Amino acid sequence: MKKYLAILKINLLNSLAYPAELLTRALVIVLFMWIFFQLWRVTFAAAGTEAIHGLTLRDTMWYLLLAETLELGRPRLARLISQQVKDGSIAYLLNKPYHFLFYQLASGLGDSLPRMGMLFLLGGVVVWALAGPPPAIAHWPPAFLALAGAWLLHFCFNALIGLAAFLAEEVAPFEWIYQKMVFILGGMLIPLDFYPAWLQTVCRSLPFAYMMYGPARLFVRPETTVFVQTLLGQILWLAVLGGGLALAFGSGMRRLAINGG
Amino acid sequence: MRELNFLLSLWKTNLASAMEYRAAFLSQAIGMILNDGVYFLVWVLFFDRFKEVRGWELSDMFLVFGIAAGAFGLAGAFFGNAFNLAEIITGGRLDYYLSLPRSVLLHVLASRVVPSGFGDLLYGFLSYFASGQASWGGLGRFILAILLATAIFIAFLILVQSLAFWLGTGGTFTALAVNAIITFAIYPITLFNQAAKVVLFLIVPAAFLGAVPAGFVRAFSWPTLGSMALAAAGFLALALTLFHLGLRRYESGSAIQVEV
Repeated sequence: MKKYLAILKINLLNSLAYPAELLTRALVIVLFMWIFFQLWRVTFAAAGTEAIHGLTLRDTMWYLLLAETLELGRPRLARLISQQVKDGSIAYLLNKPYHFLFYQLASGLGDSLPRMGMLFLLGGVVVWALAGPPPAIAHWPPAFLALAGAWLLHFCFNALIGLAAFLAEEVAPFEWIYQKMVFILGGMLIPLDFYPAWLQTVCRSLPFAYMMYGPARLFVRPETTVFVQTLLGQILWLAVLGGGLALAFGSGMRRLAINGG
Repeated sequence: MRELNFLLSLWKTNLASAMEYRAAFLSQAIGMILNDGVYFLVWVLFFDRFKEVRGWELSDMFLVFGIAAGAFGLAGAFFGNAFNLAEIITGGRLDYYLSLPRSVLLHVLASRVVPSGFGDLLYGFLSYFASGQASWGGLGRFILAILLATAIFIAFLILVQSLAFWLGTGGTFTALAVNAIITFAIYPITLFNQAAKVVLFLIVPAAFLGAVPAGFVRAFSWPTLGSMALAAAGFLALALTLFHLGLRRYESGSAIQVEV
């Protein structure tokens, strides 16, 4: 465990070493939040109501902020791992005294945490100024617990896509489709509550809702049933995807051919 | 004419080179069509629930999305280095192009093909045909609109990335600029107030990648065509000027690099 914490710390320090870069990368959330506010302000005004399916404009904006923070700050490991597989540099990670996947987990987390912090901070200032104050602090712990589960699910998907390089020449299309599934079926751009009932049912039976909607919804409306459903869904899908990841890694290792170096 | 022949030869070579990895090429192009299609479902769901945004409907989104995807795809497919010009400048990789007897900017821009660009371009046309507003005349206007939007988009990318000559960095800023112009282009323009519209026409010319060409595709209008042509000429002139001003400041460590 200590060695993984050390890897996490190294990546954390590495990300924090260039604060200007961190800030510039996070600026995009200012743009997104401003545009989202324009869209939803007009939409709420046209609907002529304070709340749509229980969410006010302020709730919707804080929901979208948490969702965007997760999307823009989540690990971007798919291409990194696929590159390591394709160019053979994976060999340098496999002969070290740590597990390849846990190494990626720790390094991805070290990279992700400062980015997510900066995104939340910058986006939060914009949303607060435009739509009003954030949800009460008491709402934050369940949402952030679910955020951790969502991050792990994103990690599993990314690692699976990266390891697909053992089979496919190009993994970028898998990454694009996965991202768009999160956009649509995860409720990243529109809260799932605004979808037709049948589609909400479909979304809740897939992992994407637990990777985006769950934590974002808990942040603005911390209901016990949503909390329990989200955590159970995350545990179930972590077991499925984690198991798949272990199998994919084992199968990839059997296929791996390293020629000199 | 000489430059056109040069461009045609470059594109032919690029395409042959990309097709060497046929499976990767096709998977990226087809993957991008799927990617765009799935992304557009957000708007299908939105307009299914809320019907319209200040008069802007789903059919308008099909047009706007089609033009933006088409312009983005055309830029990537034929001028792929427009997306990483800043990296080339800061990495000292202009040396190679400077040593050859051709226009530096044209050569560098057209020296890379982004396979997914073909997917975006094709999706643009699919989106146009799905808009319910397709006609032969409309198709001609759509193609013209994509060409002008591409010119404006590439000019904007050159402008933003030429700043790398002075700043010495630019990758992150480029990503931000691309995000800004594409995001603004694919959202209904009716959302924005007058001040924001000034920005969208003159600073981040997203209006010329979405709403303005969409209006032109719906119905021919000389003033709209004129404004698009003027914007394309103006932004290209600015981009060329800034790039060549920057080129005077260009320096590299004479590193040995291989361009493939």
